[in-house]
Amino acid sequence: MFISKLKQALICLKAGRVTLPYPYKPAPPPEGFRGRPKVDIDKCIGCAGCANVCPSRAIEVTDLDEGWRRIQFHLTRCISCGRCEEVCPEEAVKLTDQFELSTNTKEDLTVAIEIYMDTCQRCARCFKPEHPLDKMMITGFRK
Amino acid sequence: MLTSFRIIETLKTKFDKQILEAQEPVSNQVFVRIVPDALIPVICFLNQTLSPRFLINAAIDRREQDGKYTVFYIFSFDSEKIFLCIQVAVDAADPAIDSITPIVAGANWSERETRDLVGINLRGHPDPRRLVLADDWPNELYPLRKDFPYDYKPPSEPQNKVPLKKPPQRTKVIPIGPFYPVLEEPAYFKLFVDGETIVDCDYRGFYCHRGIEKIAESKLTYNQICFLAERICGICGFIHSTCYCEAVERAAGIEVPLRARYIRSIMLELERIHSHLLWLGIATHIVGFDTLLMQSWRIREPVMWLCEKISGNRKTYGMNLIGGVRRDIPLSMHDEIIQVVEKIERETKEVIDAVIGDTSLHVRLKNVGILTQEVARNICTVGPTARGSGVRIDSRVDHPYAAYDRINFEVAVESGCDIWARTLVRLKETIESVKIVKQCLLEMPDGPIMADVMEEIPAGREAISCVEAPRGEAVHYVQTGDNNRPYRWKVRAPSYPNLQSVPYLIKGQRIADVPIIIGSLDPCYSCTERMAVVDVRTGTERIYTKEEIMKR
Repeated sequence: MFISKLKQALICLKAGRVTLPYPYKPAPPPEGFRGRPKVDIDKCIGCAGCANVCPSRAIEVTDLDEGWRRIQFHLTRCISCGRCEEVCPEEAVKLTDQFELSTNTKEDLTVAIEIYMDTCQRCARCFKPEHPLDKMMITGFRK
Repeated sequence: MLTSFRIIETLKTKFDKQILEAQEPVSNQVFVRIVPDALIPVICFLNQTLSPRFLINAAIDRREQDGKYTVFYIFSFDSEKIFLCIQVAVDAADPAIDSITPIVAGANWSERETRDLVGINLRGHPDPRRLVLADDWPNELYPLRKDFPYDYKPPSEPQNKVPLKKPPQRTKVIPIGPFYPVLEEPAYFKLFVDGETIVDCDYRGFYCHRGIEKIAESKLTYNQICFLAERICGICGFIHSTCYCEAVERAAGIEVPLRARYIRSIMLELERIHSHLLWLGIATHIVGFDTLLMQSWRIREPVMWLCEKISGNRKTYGMNLIGGVRRDIPLSMHDEIIQVVEKIERETKEVIDAVIGDTSLHVRLKNVGILTQEVARNICTVGPTARGSGVRIDSRVDHPYAAYDRINFEVAVESGCDIWARTLVRLKETIESVKIVKQCLLEMPDGPIMADVMEEIPAGREAISCVEAPRGEAVHYVQTGDNNRPYRWKVRAPSYPNLQSVPYLIKGQRIADVPIIIGSLDPCYSCTERMAVVDVRTGTERIYTKEEIMKR
C-alpha cells in the first residue's frame, strides 16, 4: 500500500507541469490539419461537386436569375472532413488550419460566393462558359 | 470442425421443408431463410446443439419488393469464424412474430427495438414495454418503415409514457439519472433499495436516439454514411466507420488494398489505446482517485496529437471511405509513431506497477459488480465486460477484419468476474495494442490505399461485419439498395448488450458502488447538440440562446 502510494507520487513528480498556456499563447495545429474550408473564387467553376459529396449538407447551391449561381458554405454545419477538397476538379477548395471559429453571430460563419454562369437555352439551367477566357469578356463577371 | 456447409446441412436435415433457402453469398456468412412457424424450433435447436452466440436482430421493410417484412437474427460461431443470419418473412397485413427472448435472454432489447421501429409485434415477450421511441411518440407509427418520411414530425402524445416498474414491498426508490448518471450520458436507472442494498432496478434510456439509420437509408449516399457512422460514438468513432465500410465492401465484393487494411488496423489500435486510458481515468475518478485521472489522461494526450498528425483531426479521423482509406501513413512518420506508442507503453506499465498493489483500489474494485460467466454468456455481453468474466471472445480473432488475420497478438482474458478483472483486461489490452501498432508498421506493404470502385454497388446484396471496439464488438448489417445508398443499415454498438447486464451487476450491491459498477462497463456516451427545454405547463419547446443561458 505504502509502496504503491510512493510510486504514484513519483509518477506525478516526474510528469511535472504539462498543461499548455493556450489560449494565451497560440497552439498551431500540425501540418495536414483539417480546419475550415476556404474557397478560391477565381478557380471555382460552379460545378457543385462539393455540394454533392458533402456528408453534412454544409454547401448550398442556388441558381439566381440571369445566370448567377450562388454557392454558400455554412461553416456551422461543416465537419471539416475535406471531401470537398478531395473532389474539386479545379482545386478551388482548400482546407485551412483555422479552427477557432466561435462567434456570437451565426451569420459570420456563412461564406457565399457568386459565379457568373451561362444559361442553357433549352433548360434554363446555369452552366460554365466553355473557355475560361470567355468569362473575361462578360462585363461584371465578378460582383 | 463446423463449416458453413455443415451448418446448412445440419439445419436442412433437421428441418427439411421449413428451410426455404440457404446460401453463403459472402464467405463465412450463412443466410438461411425459414418459414415463420419454424423460428422457435430452429432457435431452440441451435441453442441446444451448436450453441452460437446471439448478436442482434432487426427487421427490414421489404413491402415494395415482396410485400413482406423480413426479420433477421444474426448469430456468431466464434471459434469457427462464421456468421449465421436466420431470416423470416412476416406477412405485412398482420406483422407479428414469436419472441425468442425466453430462449435467448440477450435478445430482449433488440426485439423491443424491432417492434418500436418497424412495428413487428411480439408474441410472448416477457417485457414488451416501449424501449427506443420517445415517451410521447404516437402509437402505431413506425419510423423505420419505408412509407414514413424521414423528416416527418408527429404530434406529441404524452399519454404514451412508458410505465416503470413498481417498487417491491418495503423498498425505497433511488433514481440515478436521467441526467449524467455516472457518465455524461442521459439514461435513467430507477433503483429499488432495502436499506443500503439494491433489490432490483428498472432502466429507461434511448433519450439520445437520433434516427441515423433512417437518414442514411433515405438521404445519404454510401460514401457520406462513413462520416455519419464515425459520429455514432464520441470515443470510438473510427470503429463504426470501419465496421460500416467493411460491411458494404463485403456485400459489394470490393477488395480493399492490403496497405489500406493495415492503416485501418493501426488507427483502430491507436483508438483503443486512447479509449482504454480515458476509461482508466474516468473509472478512478468515479472512485475518487483523481490523481490517476490526471496521470492517465496526461499519458493519453500524445496519442490524440499523433492521430491529429496522421489524420488531420484528433478524434474524428474521417479516414475511411468505401474501398480504402483517404490518407496514407508516410514512412517519415513511422519513427514518431513508434516513439509515441513506446512512451505510452512505458508509462502505462509504470502506472500498472503503481496501482496493482494499491489496497484502497482493491477495496473498491475487487468482488464488486460480479458478472458470472453464465450470465455474461446469457446476456451476450461483449468486449472487456465478457473477457473479465472469462468469456474468450474477441472479434479481432473470431471474425478477422482489416489486417488482423495477419497479426499475432494475445487476447486478454481474466476470470475474476469483478470490476478489477475488467480493469486488468483493459490495461493488458493497452499494452497489447502498442505491440500491434508496432507490428503493423513493420509489416505494412507498399501499394495503393484505395480500391478503384468503378461500378455502382448492385442492389439486394447483404453482409455482416464485426469490429472489436474498446468496449466490445460493434456489429453492422448492410443490405444494399438503389440510388447509391443502402436499403437497410443496422448498427449495434457494444454498449447495447453490455448495458443489459446492469440489473444483474447491481443486484445485492451497495448504493455507493453503483456508479463504478455502471462505469466499469464503459458505456458509450452521446451528447446532444444544444439545450432544448420543454416547458411543462405550456408544452412548448424552445431553445435558449447563449445570452439567456449566461443570464441564468
